[in-house]
Amino acid sequence: MRAIERGLTNCPVCHAIVKVPPEGMNEVAYCPRCDSEVHMRKPQAVQKTWAYLIASIVFFIPANILPMMHVVTFAGTESDTIMSGVFYFMETKAYLIAFVIFTASIFVPILKILILIYLLLSVQKGSCMHRKKRKKLYVLTEIIGRWSMVDVYVVGTMVALVHFGGLTEIKAGLGANFFLLVVIMTMLAAMSFDPKLIWDNTKECNAKQ
Amino acid sequence: MERIVRIGEGTVILIHVNMLCSKEMLSLHNQFGRHGVSAAMKPHYYICHECDEISKVSTPHKPGRYKCPRCGTKLYTYKPGMVEKIYAYNLAALFLFIVANYFPFLSFHVAGSSSHANFTTSIFYLYQEEQWMMATAILLTTIVVPLSRILLYCILFGSLYHGYLPRYAAHMLKTLEKLLPWGMLDVLFLGVLVSIVKLVKMGTIIPGTSLWAFMLMVMVMAAAQSIFDPHQIWERIGERKRLERRKAEV
Repeated sequence: MRAIERGLTNCPVCHAIVKVPPEGMNEVAYCPRCDSEVHMRKPQAVQKTWAYLIASIVFFIPANILPMMHVVTFAGTESDTIMSGVFYFMETKAYLIAFVIFTASIFVPILKILILIYLLLSVQKGSCMHRKKRKKLYVLTEIIGRWSMVDVYVVGTMVALVHFGGLTEIKAGLGANFFLLVVIMTMLAAMSFDPKLIWDNTKECNAKQ
Repeated sequence: MERIVRIGEGTVILIHVNMLCSKEMLSLHNQFGRHGVSAAMKPHYYICHECDEISKVSTPHKPGRYKCPRCGTKLYTYKPGMVEKIYAYNLAALFLFIVANYFPFLSFHVAGSSSHANFTTSIFYLYQEEQWMMATAILLTTIVVPLSRILLYCILFGSLYHGYLPRYAAHMLKTLEKLLPWGMLDVLFLGVLVSIVKLVKMGTIIPGTSLWAFMLMVMVMAAAQSIFDPHQIWERIGERKRLERRKAEV
């Protein structure tokens, strides 16, 4: 038995069972236990997720083109983008580090964006395929999202450590700012998506079979 | 751990003291009478927050993991001694947080010159470079959010441990839930490791006391988070609200 068929849902904060008035999906009820707003489904989940996703795709381009950090020495300034960092470590045979940086700052954001696009499209199409796997994908995006912040912290730590009073310094570049925005936007996108939407066509799917 | 308590007229109640510590269960009993205590023993209904399936858990007081029958999402875990453990872990984390912020974090030596970094040095330098956004983001995700989470845990679980439910427990739990994804000390840990490996070829890196404290803090906080399950506390908050409402009606 699914909760929506009985006009019930659970509070997003305390998981108490709440009855939501039936008129429309965006009707508000208040949780009797913790007083938070309760909707049948997160309001405008699909639209909001699309909006955050598009924003993150837009920010992802300058994040990869613009330099993450500038190494300032008396010989001149050198700029590093994400990919040039990965190539540098490949050349110096530090494969593990190259792998970590590549995974955290290129592979994970792209994977997250692709997974969310797939989830959104399949929900909008009302697909009945692989519902359990899709739910797992959603949980995955929620878990791995924060780990992309690694690159921002690497830049921060380098800025703090390589600071020899004007002789040699590392400065954060614009790319790092955009990268930060990508991480925040993808996290917000994952948060505003409602996994219950994946299962909402259960009746139709059962009828088809 | 189970305890049998007798109250007048031959009523016998089985109290489960797994989740809440025994002192607290007894005070709950004194406050609310048998309804307050037996609430923990009734079968519970849960709605899965991933797939919307309603499921019945008939033994909510037995330690273990309960999963949604349709999609396998963890509905809730019931582990003995959660309150004591989380209180202890977070007191340790608070202590380690102070140590991590007070002592030197890392020093870096290259060809005679050296630079020293504290836990917060990167934020200062980023502000000096006018990288407002990055500095603020790092400040929030590594200092403000983790610290407020630790403090909230200490206050909430400290008072639960000493046998009473704080007035604003619902607000505290709500804030804890909201802040969860934005505290990124574990990610920072990976970031520090990566940058150490990046720099190790250029010069000598000397880890400070703060780095070890920071490592321990990340582990302790992960341990606390892994056993945290607020259902039992929400149950009590709900019980208190119901009683208050009943009193107001009378």
